Amino acid sequence: MSKLEKWNEKIWNFFASVDLAVALFIVISIGAAIGTIIPQQLEPEPTIRFFLKFLSMNNATKAYEIVSLLDLNNLYHSWWFTFLLFMFALNLIVCSIDRLPNLLKSYKTAPQPLPHEILERMPVKRDIELSNKSSIADKVLDILKKKGFSTNIFQTPDGVQLQAKKWKKTRLAVYLTHLSILIILAGALLGTFFGFRGHMNIVEGTGLDFAISDEGKTIPLNFQIICDKFEVDYYENSAVPKAYRSYLRVLENGQTIKFNGKDTVVVEVNQPFSYRGITFYQASYGFQPAEHAEFRFTYFDESGKEITIKSKFEEKSKIPGKSVTLKVIDFSPALGIDEQGRLFNMTTDMINPAVFVEFDIGGKKTHHWILKKIPETWETPYGKIRFDELWGAQFTGIQIRKDPGVPLIYAGSILLCIGLFISLFLRPINYFVTIHKNRVIFYSPSSKGKVIIEKQLDELINKLKGDKE
Amino acid sequence: MSYQIISIAGLLYIIAMPLYIVYLLTKNNKIGYLATGTLSLGLLAHIYGFIQRFKEMYAINHSFMRSIPITNLYESLVFFVLCLVIGYLFIEWKYRKKSFGVFVSIIAGISIGLTELLGVTKEVQPLVPALKSNWLLAHVTLSFISYAAFAISFITGLLHIIISSESKKSFKYIFSTTLLGLMVFILFSMLIDIATAGNPKAVRIFHSTLGNASAFISILSWITMFVFIIIFWRFGEVIVKILKELKIDANFLEEITYKGIAFGFPIFTIGGLVFGAIWADQAWGRYWGWDPKETWSLITWFVYAFYLHAKFIRGWSGSKTSMVAVFGFIVTLFTYLGVNLFLSGLHSYGSM
Ligand code: HEM
Repeated sequence: MSKLEKWNEKIWNFFASVDLAVALFIVISIGAAIGTIIPQQLEPEPTIRFFLKFLSMNNATKAYEIVSLLDLNNLYHSWWFTFLLFMFALNLIVCSIDRLPNLLKSYKTAPQPLPHEILERMPVKRDIELSNKSSIADKVLDILKKKGFSTNIFQTPDGVQLQAKKWKKTRLAVYLTHLSILIILAGALLGTFFGFRGHMNIVEGTGLDFAISDEGKTIPLNFQIICDKFEVDYYENSAVPKAYRSYLRVLENGQTIKFNGKDTVVVEVNQPFSYRGITFYQASYGFQPAEHAEFRFTYFDESGKEITIKSKFEEKSKIPGKSVTLKVIDFSPALGIDEQGRLFNMTTDMINPAVFVEFDIGGKKTHHWILKKIPETWETPYGKIRFDELWGAQFTGIQIRKDPGVPLIYAGSILLCIGLFISLFLRPINYFVTIHKNRVIFYSPSSKGKVIIEKQLDELINKLKGDKE
Repeated sequence: MSYQIISIAGLLYIIAMPLYIVYLLTKNNKIGYLATGTLSLGLLAHIYGFIQRFKEMYAINHSFMRSIPITNLYESLVFFVLCLVIGYLFIEWKYRKKSFGVFVSIIAGISIGLTELLGVTKEVQPLVPALKSNWLLAHVTLSFISYAAFAISFITGLLHIIISSESKKSFKYIFSTTLLGLMVFILFSMLIDIATAGNPKAVRIFHSTLGNASAFISILSWITMFVFIIIFWRFGEVIVKILKELKIDANFLEEITYKGIAFGFPIFTIGGLVFGAIWADQAWGRYWGWDPKETWSLITWFVYAFYLHAKFIRGWSGSKTSMVAVFGFIVTLFTYLGVNLFLSGLHSYGSM
């Protein structure tokens, strides 16, 4: 063998070894664990602040230098962590190429009787004497076949040797498991190179045709996303949001795109929507009154008809059919009452929106609080007026993502689960039985689940004995 | 209220512990049945409490799928213990061996006790929007089922190490008896914590012992802890003798350790990793983000993958693999509780 070939073989064996796999399990785990302790932020302050907890200023800065040298503050994307994952993948590939052909070959070769010494070395052994000599082999065969085993029978110098196998091919599932891990890694790679993530904050009533990436770059979209409406439901008497949703519209080349025949799509937490390979997620929301913000009321006239009134801040609007005007002079998104009975604003979340309106009837002014959630406050001297919403004062935070690797991730995950279930729940079972006169010996090579195999053998033997009695 | 019923279940679990000990010492079958009976009774109370809790959740959320009570730390601990006790009773029935019931009742008791101690909210809480997903149900339920399976393999793995160590000076023996001593000390410490706390909602762990305001009691507790460890180290062989007399052999323990992992590993993979990734994908727009909880789940997964490969391909056997199983559960515990207590992230069980 030439020197080169020797080296080739050495390298191949190195990557095909399970020792490497076992070592990588440990090294990758330790690496990943470090990343959960050291802050994963690129600016120096968080890391230095972290080390200041147990080091002096001087040493903390030094620690930061080491951290940034080894990319420990961006560990999961560092060159060495990527390298470890790459080794892991290579290990899996080489190991499978190295072993799979042998396994496949073993399925093809015709079964052979095993010599006595090999049988004697098997971890499970049961030795019994049966009183009835005739047709023991047939009986054993019959029982095993009924249990779903495929059997082979050989005549050897020591008597009859029976071989029974079940779920022989489930060994292959291990390779499915390993392949699926590679598929998942490939999907992750695809996503890293051909995908992007970004964020857009759209004020109610406006639209955006770009997003900001996590790194702060602008990602142009070839269409515009318009938020027609945004709303939050809260649990009763609580500031815990129950649900929040955006009513979005997609505008491309001046045309509104229809989805299932509708102009708007509703995006909620856990209910994203996709367009042109980009997925839009409801992520956050916030208070940000815009120029175009307007207060919307419903006026119930004497006949019970409902009429919408829209009014901008400090702008007079006429109440239909009356010579009264209404003007909003104060607004509170979360009106509360303190111990002294004074009104105050709790947060900028629209938990309990309220407006302070001024009615003007020929110069005579009266003031009134109208609360969205308290119907008693809708009754005013000039009729029933419900405050519906302040439209255009909130933005919806939409997370966007394009990841062509996701189908691979999903496919790999499904295969992974199938592979694992088969390889761990449907293990191959092998029995070897030698029958010499009325002496029957059972052997099993598997030490995995020895107790269970022994129990199954007991059952088998009982059946064998019971049949006769 | 559901949590009072569950506290009663926890109490029954703790009562089952001395019964199992007496059974191991006397080998009196009647006491054995009594022990199993007490544990089963605890389980019945537990199931009843779980259903009550479900109803309380349903009254708020009005959705069957969203009312499974596993949405905060308290509920998840309660569900973990439920799976653990069911799993143990199944093994006891299947193998007809009561050998490690003591330890299951200790862990079950400690876990329910923890909820009393850490002062976790036991009130039924409304779901925040991110938790409203059927993937959540699948993700969390399966995760905790696998944690329970890992817990069982932890117990049998530990016993396996003790039973198969030859000398008191061996690392295996010292490691396992120390761990046992610590567990029992923590149990007693928590019982005292509960007993001495004025307000059941304001109990703090180790308040009455290690972390006591009085330096004297604190030092005394530390000494007691070491005494516990030394006692277990000194008399660990008694456990070995008892187990051997009960015809509990190393093979049985090794097999249950393996079975626990062989059952838990695929469940953890599908429930913990895959469903977790799908849920994260739907809710946050990324299937994997190296969030501490995710990272530690991956580490847990690697530890058990290490176990399987070391055992079956490298041919490790005996207590060496059982050490990996024990270590695996310690990592699992960190993934479950430690990450929330010590590291920050997106997962919600941290909010107590
Ligand atoms: C985290 C990733 C991995 C998982 C989840 C995994 C899972 C498994 C499982 C469940 C088995 C079956 C074990 C048994 O017999 O019960 C197995 C076997 C095996 N694994 Fe892995 N594995 C992983 C990574 C690797 C790597 C990196 C290698 C690289 C050499 C490897 C090499 C093997 C080999 C050689 C077998 C035995 C195959 C046989 O019996 O024919 N595994 N793996």
